[in-house]
Amino acid sequence: MIKKVLIANRGEIAVRIIRACREMGIETVAVYSQADREALHTKLADEAICIGPPPSAESYLSMERIISATVITQADAIHPGFGFLSENSKFAELCQQCNITFIGPDAQVIARLGNKQEARNTMVSAGVPVIPGSKEAIYDAQTGAQIAREIGYPVIIKAALGGGGKGMRVAETEEEFEQSFQMAQKETQMAFGDNTMYIEHYVQHPRHIEFQILADQYGNIVHLGERDCSIQRNHQKMIEESPSIALSEELRQEMGQTAVRAARAAGYVNAGTIEFLLENSGKYYFMEMNTRIQVEHPVTEWVTGIDLIKEQIRIASGKKLSYKQEDVHLTGHAIECRINAENPSQNFRPSPGTITDMYLPGGKGIRIDSAIYSGYTIPPYYDSMAAKLIVWAKNRGEAVRKMQSALGEVIIEGIDTNVDYQYEILNHPDYLSGNIDVEFIENMHQQLEQGQMA
Amino acid sequence: MKLDNVFKKTRLPKRRSVLSADGAKPEVPEGLVRKCNMCKGAIIAEDVRDGLYICPKCGGYFRIHAYRRIEMIADEGTFEEWDKSLATKNPLRFRGYEEKLAALQEKTGLSEAVVTGKARIEGADVVLGVCDGRFLMASMGEVVGEKITRAVERATRERLPLIIFTCSGGARMQEGIVSLMQMAKTSAALKRHSDAGLLYITVLTDPTTGGVTASFAMLGDVILAEPKALIGFAGPRVIGQTIGQKLPKGFQRAEFLLDHGFIDGIVERPQMKETLSRLLQLHRDGQKEPEAAEDQPDRMPAGQSGPGQSRTAEDQSDQTPAGQSQAEQRHRKAQTANAWGRVLASRKKGRPVGKDYIEALFTDFTEMHGDRFFADDQAIIGGIARFHNMPVTVIAQAKGSDTKENIQRNFGMPSPDGYRKSLRLMKQAEKFHRPVICFVDTPGAFCGIEAEERGQGEAIARNIYEMSALKVPILSIVIGEGGSGGALAMATADEVWMLENSIYSILSPEGFASILWKDSGKAQEAAEVMRLTAEDLYRQGIVEQVLPEPDNYTVENLEAVTDVLEEQMEKFLARYGDMDGEQLAQHRYDRFRNM
Repeated sequence: MIKKVLIANRGEIAVRIIRACREMGIETVAVYSQADREALHTKLADEAICIGPPPSAESYLSMERIISATVITQADAIHPGFGFLSENSKFAELCQQCNITFIGPDAQVIARLGNKQEARNTMVSAGVPVIPGSKEAIYDAQTGAQIAREIGYPVIIKAALGGGGKGMRVAETEEEFEQSFQMAQKETQMAFGDNTMYIEHYVQHPRHIEFQILADQYGNIVHLGERDCSIQRNHQKMIEESPSIALSEELRQEMGQTAVRAARAAGYVNAGTIEFLLENSGKYYFMEMNTRIQVEHPVTEWVTGIDLIKEQIRIASGKKLSYKQEDVHLTGHAIECRINAENPSQNFRPSPGTITDMYLPGGKGIRIDSAIYSGYTIPPYYDSMAAKLIVWAKNRGEAVRKMQSALGEVIIEGIDTNVDYQYEILNHPDYLSGNIDVEFIENMHQQLEQGQMA
Repeated sequence: MKLDNVFKKTRLPKRRSVLSADGAKPEVPEGLVRKCNMCKGAIIAEDVRDGLYICPKCGGYFRIHAYRRIEMIADEGTFEEWDKSLATKNPLRFRGYEEKLAALQEKTGLSEAVVTGKARIEGADVVLGVCDGRFLMASMGEVVGEKITRAVERATRERLPLIIFTCSGGARMQEGIVSLMQMAKTSAALKRHSDAGLLYITVLTDPTTGGVTASFAMLGDVILAEPKALIGFAGPRVIGQTIGQKLPKGFQRAEFLLDHGFIDGIVERPQMKETLSRLLQLHRDGQKEPEAAEDQPDRMPAGQSGPGQSRTAEDQSDQTPAGQSQAEQRHRKAQTANAWGRVLASRKKGRPVGKDYIEALFTDFTEMHGDRFFADDQAIIGGIARFHNMPVTVIAQAKGSDTKENIQRNFGMPSPDGYRKSLRLMKQAEKFHRPVICFVDTPGAFCGIEAEERGQGEAIARNIYEMSALKVPILSIVIGEGGSGGALAMATADEVWMLENSIYSILSPEGFASILWKDSGKAQEAAEVMRLTAEDLYRQGIVEQVLPEPDNYTVENLEAVTDVLEEQMEKFLARYGDMDGEQLAQHRYDRFRNM
């Protein structure tokens, strides 16, 4: 059994892990950069070791320093949290070489799933649906049209060297295809000096649905239902909830089983997340597998009653899962809002600084995971997430109202936050009705602009 | 709110042993992490191994074990080690020496501080010697000297090029005078290798000092170094203590040596193999029997030019038609430009400079630096390149393309160091039978105190003297200003050609006016009477060819000149490639004897 864990992270997730360890009677070691001397995780842990200057590359990303800190403090395991080194297969391998338990999957598994092509191949051979697309590069519209027909419309035409939306065109029908292809190819030629194209099925108005899984070292794998993370801005999730109102019980079971199959195919052990895009039609496609604990794990914890961090530690200690799939039930509805130190009116510019005063809500069905306190200075070097506000109620409607109420109570003085912005989302008619997809924020901004102009 | 010591810590259920149940403790296995001795950072050994032993944090270079070095340089599986078991004796019966050697042999798996043998680099056979600093700082004792000498001798016998990676603290103190003699032994063997016309490249790695620097390290035809490598005779600590001064930053580092003219170049590790391979190829092709040169089918083998063949007749038959058409052109253009106009054109900003011609006419240009005496003069660019696939030595007096580069290149006014560099490269060309192509473009040799201190006159004289009898063809092309002795020091050639708007004179028109008429303002008049234009000089028989220029000549229309130049150079090489060294020297002698 693990007796002492070094938390190779900072912020609220480090605090979350320290708390879980403390409850399990496991000693904790915090590591901190020079900018984090006063950080909550530094103060809360049983021991704390400074691992370098503020920039992440020289502290929280420095494998050598973190390994050294582990050896010095004789911690027997490292919890990597999320971000930083959490999905670094080399770090996981180093831990193994140094006789340190890495709380997460094997290095090889991380490496395999971190490689997009390899991950996709693994999923295809396990019968997990992936977005259909051309396997070979395409150079002319005729070949393209033939492949588009096989894939099924609508299709998206992409530049092989693409990025930033350049050289991308959607063709809804075969009639449109030729012109779209030629325009995309022309743009590609202009932007990248290359005319290599790819074609993929265009997933329309998808929701971001992800399944949490837990796998022990003995081949037992369960899924803990889904999270709907469609509310995102520039691929940054803002609000997550579980369950998703878009999933029928049948679809949940089907996708859950697919997720378990995916995890099994990857040889996965520990907590992981399989991300899907879900179309209105009910068709879904594998995107990627995250080989770490996720920011939004609390919503799953609340509807399943399972403490994911503790499960991670138990699995890493070689324990078996104490329940089977049929023992896992989703009860009620949980929503999480990420509260970031940023200014939405200035294009979400980060707003580090000292919190002069704060008041956070409480009461039944309210959970706050954060690392801020009154007088704390948020350093400018790291992620701007300051707190997570999570609510639970027996159905979505009540949960939404609880979140509205809770957001209305949040007071954080001294820095800018996105609390009011989140409050607006929580009151948006489409959000209230659950009519959301990954384009929600973009659409909301358009509506706001149009509203202002009118 | 201060949070110091306010939170309760984890209360442990019961007193536990420090060890986990299975007794496994976290520890970093031996060799997993190492410390960079330059940035002091801890780094993962694997990253260092995979990254050519360069610190991933600070970019500093670690020293490399001999066998790893060979792996990085030689084609896989081609290294055949020589004299592996040669054992060290204890000539002075120095106490503890044998035990020390035995311990090092045990620890390093090496028998001595150098590994020698034969390998292939991109398919080219080469004899390799690699010093290994783990073994008594690769100091040179009898066995090191012996292994190197044997390798050199065998390279001479088998007519192979030789590459030595040096690294050494110097002489092996424990072996006393015997160690000192190794300097002479290795150097003498290298002299024979060189006299046999064979190529020797040294790569100086950190640190190369003492008796090794003062023998085989500094004797390469080409001397390369790794970045920041410490290279010197006396060590910096000894020098500092002796003179009681703080040494300047970067003293005795590779960059310092490059500035001071002792190495040809600094090569980064990732480019080392490619660089060595290119140098080997350039020299290998140069040594090919001419029959093997498929690209020159109409050329006669060297030294076998027909006895009855008259050079002058050949020259004339080759040149007359071109000369006629040029004469017409000259006549046509002479109307439009007077001498002063050409003086201005030859100096005009935007006119192509030496490196533009190198770029346009040659491939694989590999620049060589330094005079091996004092400096690397940037007013002269020199190196090896290919012209129509044939290795040639190219030397250009270099004006800059802009003011910044002009300052760096001293406006194309060479110092003695520049002439000595050019002579060194010409001597090398002679050794390796490469024709020499010179581009002349200088207002004159640099006029300054340091230039006189280091013997500007001597340097120019020496160039003229040595060039007059160099045993390979020399072609000089005046592309801009041909300023006096500074130009002649690179134009004592078999043929001298001029671009239409270039000039070549005893002195600048300004200087001429000021000496004869005490008025430099009369430069314009001087230009008219000096007969310094290409046309004038062609008429006088000072130059063999005048190459037409397009109007408003810049890099943009450089091709108009280089296309003709390329064709004419090809003919030049065909004309003179057939002649042996004696014939060439005689031809050059006659050329100037008649002036």
